[in-house]
Amino acid sequence: MAFIELTNVTFTYPDCSAPAINNLSLKINKGEFVVLFGASGSGKSTLLKLLKKEIQPHGQLMGQIVIDGQPVQETEGLANEIGFVFQDPENQLVADDVLHEMVFGLENIGLPPTEMRSRVAEMVHFFGAESLLARKSHQLSGGKKQQINLASVLLMQPIILILDEPTAQLDPVSTREFLDMLKRLNDEFGMTIILAEHRLEEVFTLADQIIMMENGQVQIEGEPKAVIPKIWNSVNRDYVPSIPGLFLSMNGEGSVPLTVKEGRSWVQKALADVYDEEEQVSTPLLDDVRIRAKSISFRYEKKADFILKELDLSLKKGEFYALLGGNGSGKSTFLKLMAGLLKPDIGKVLYDKKPLNGYKHHELTKRIGYLPQNPKLFFLQDTVEKEIQETMAQWELADASEADSLLAQLGIAHVKTSHPYDLSGGELQKAALACLLLRKPEVLLLDEPTKGLDPISKRRLAEILLELHAAGMTIFMSTHDIEFAAQYATKCGMMFQGNITSEDIPKKFFKGNFFYTTMIQRIFRDFAEKAPMTLEEVKRQCASTKL
Amino acid sequence: MENRFARFHPLVSFFFYAGSVSLLILMLHPIFLGLALVIILLLNFFHDRLSGLWRWKFFLITTFILMIILNPLFNERGRHLLFEVGTHRVTLEAVVFGGMNALSIIGVIALFVSYNVIMTPNKLLFLFAKILPQFAVLLMLTLRFIPLMRRRLEEISVVQRSKGISVSHGKWKRRVRTGMLYVQTLLTYSLEEAIQTADSMKARGYGMSTRSSYEYFKFRRADVLAIIYLVILLSLIIYCRAFGYGFLTVYPVMEAWQLTHLDIGALTSYLMFLSFPLFVEAGGLFRWRLSN
Repeated sequence: MAFIELTNVTFTYPDCSAPAINNLSLKINKGEFVVLFGASGSGKSTLLKLLKKEIQPHGQLMGQIVIDGQPVQETEGLANEIGFVFQDPENQLVADDVLHEMVFGLENIGLPPTEMRSRVAEMVHFFGAESLLARKSHQLSGGKKQQINLASVLLMQPIILILDEPTAQLDPVSTREFLDMLKRLNDEFGMTIILAEHRLEEVFTLADQIIMMENGQVQIEGEPKAVIPKIWNSVNRDYVPSIPGLFLSMNGEGSVPLTVKEGRSWVQKALADVYDEEEQVSTPLLDDVRIRAKSISFRYEKKADFILKELDLSLKKGEFYALLGGNGSGKSTFLKLMAGLLKPDIGKVLYDKKPLNGYKHHELTKRIGYLPQNPKLFFLQDTVEKEIQETMAQWELADASEADSLLAQLGIAHVKTSHPYDLSGGELQKAALACLLLRKPEVLLLDEPTKGLDPISKRRLAEILLELHAAGMTIFMSTHDIEFAAQYATKCGMMFQGNITSEDIPKKFFKGNFFYTTMIQRIFRDFAEKAPMTLEEVKRQCASTKL
Repeated sequence: MENRFARFHPLVSFFFYAGSVSLLILMLHPIFLGLALVIILLLNFFHDRLSGLWRWKFFLITTFILMIILNPLFNERGRHLLFEVGTHRVTLEAVVFGGMNALSIIGVIALFVSYNVIMTPNKLLFLFAKILPQFAVLLMLTLRFIPLMRRRLEEISVVQRSKGISVSHGKWKRRVRTGMLYVQTLLTYSLEEAIQTADSMKARGYGMSTRSSYEYFKFRRADVLAIIYLVILLSLIIYCRAFGYGFLTVYPVMEAWQLTHLDIGALTSYLMFLSFPLFVEAGGLFRWRLSN
């Protein structure tokens, strides 16, 4: 019998007509690494929470959930056997310093202090977190916070580890580190791991079984290599990562490559003559500088270290600039400085060659639209509609039909009367974007707009941004999503230690990088001078060589 | 340099501070208070070169001056007339009494500054976790949430400023309304996010069985000795105080300031109690010198 077995599980939230989980059956064997994916609202989180009795949501549950031969409803002592790591690194923290956070679970189950000591010592060592123990938890980067959360859960020695989009907020390097940790736990301790994720590039290579959910049901399940072609041939093609995507779009033969290594060996055999393409002529940019940062330095407190150090940047009219960089490298701070929300300690920010403080407050706000990293804080009113009305009153706009057509264009007309917090991440972001676009800004500053979006919402966001860009909008965004930046931006920059250390058009920018580069580029990196970066490029090149 | 005193068990530090505050309040005698203040200043100097105290300078000075002025202003009792303002008598007794209270209060404040350096939230939490485990969790959450809410409010104000809404521009009525909206948003947002915190706590078995607590501190021999030292001194002083020593009676008739034998005994114990952290630091320095 399978280790975890769900039979005909149906779950309905109170006051909801449609069930969140609909007649779902599933088997997971002991020691498996399972990846769960699917659109936001497909019931992933609900399913995960149902597995753990303490956090089962309220609602009507039908069917059987059996773990290790015991129905979940009847279990008592399972609390420490199932560990759960949530999406938001910050919200899971309970204590204000790291050591307290780590032992929180152990204290709860009433473990004697001596045993606690030995477990903590071991785990801290495993994570290499000695130096973090005395730190305040809010000073840590998102990646470290998430590792502490994981450590705190692991201290309880679970046999099943459930993770709900744990890397959604992490930069590529931290994500990598976190996933490696999971891989080790799975390999070395035989821990059963169930992971829900949106960014599938890397997790597919780790998984024994992948499960795609849609409308509360299991759509497709099985081994990654067997299942990926099925997904490719369905409407959900967006979920297929770029390496298998490359293989499938070329109608490759043999087993589907998942890792860069497999991808390379396949490419060597099959695609030997693809990448000799002439240099693509990059679109000439207007030389008009829209926003210019002139050696700005900034720090939050007088005696603190500088977060930005003599940073220079010119954002040209009509550019679509993507700023990459680790958690805590100062991207968000820089965006706020560009929007005039913070003032640099040294240096100046110029907008159309005039310093920001030469503008009146509302003149600047009218020109620059700023989308915060957390769009929840954007809304002061309790429905989207009221927020839009407020915005229109503020900017003295009378044409209500314009707002309606904007909402329809963004595809969120149906959520007009909802409370902002009831929207999904993607919807919330679009609602905020709608409020920004109403005042017709000349520049859009977006702080990690791709965070936590599923592949389909991400593509829609890209479509919207490209449309705005085509209409002449200057766009500046920070992001962790390399594939996104490589595909859509006209220029990429790298933030490191408070400075922009390199910037170029995406093609050149990603060429030398190891971590901050696309999967496709990693495959082709040694083969050609002008290695392609995205699936689209490879397809184009193939088409051209065949002609 | 790390404080040697800070390395004692939290119970020792807590006992020292609790004892010192009670002494400052109980032993109202100008000589006692004056010397105590000197010791507390030295203590602060050893902790952080007075930088913590420096931040409180205005508060300390205004409190001191206000208390010295206010008592004679409202209180005309006493025999020794200093001078008269109109029909208002300003007496020596009133000035002395006000002065003693002022010294006592700023002494307590200065002691709290040093307390903040030594008794980290961690230690307090440790002490409470022993007695009231549930309360300790509440305290821990509060310790995290207060700065968190402040950071969130700042974030809201930045995001709203980007929309052109702010509490520092425009008409008063509008500004107040916006401020209310900020707070409302902060609360809804924080409640919403707290659901996740609650889930994470439940997922880690919170409330399942009786809590134990991780022992960050061990009770060592030095701690036992320190506690014995402090308890003996404190009992001695309180014994003396119960018989009226170490205390200046001001009303109805002011005593002489002169100290009797027992007063001096009480004073010595009092100073030895208060300077305990100083002895510890000095001893540490001395040993360090010797060994080098």
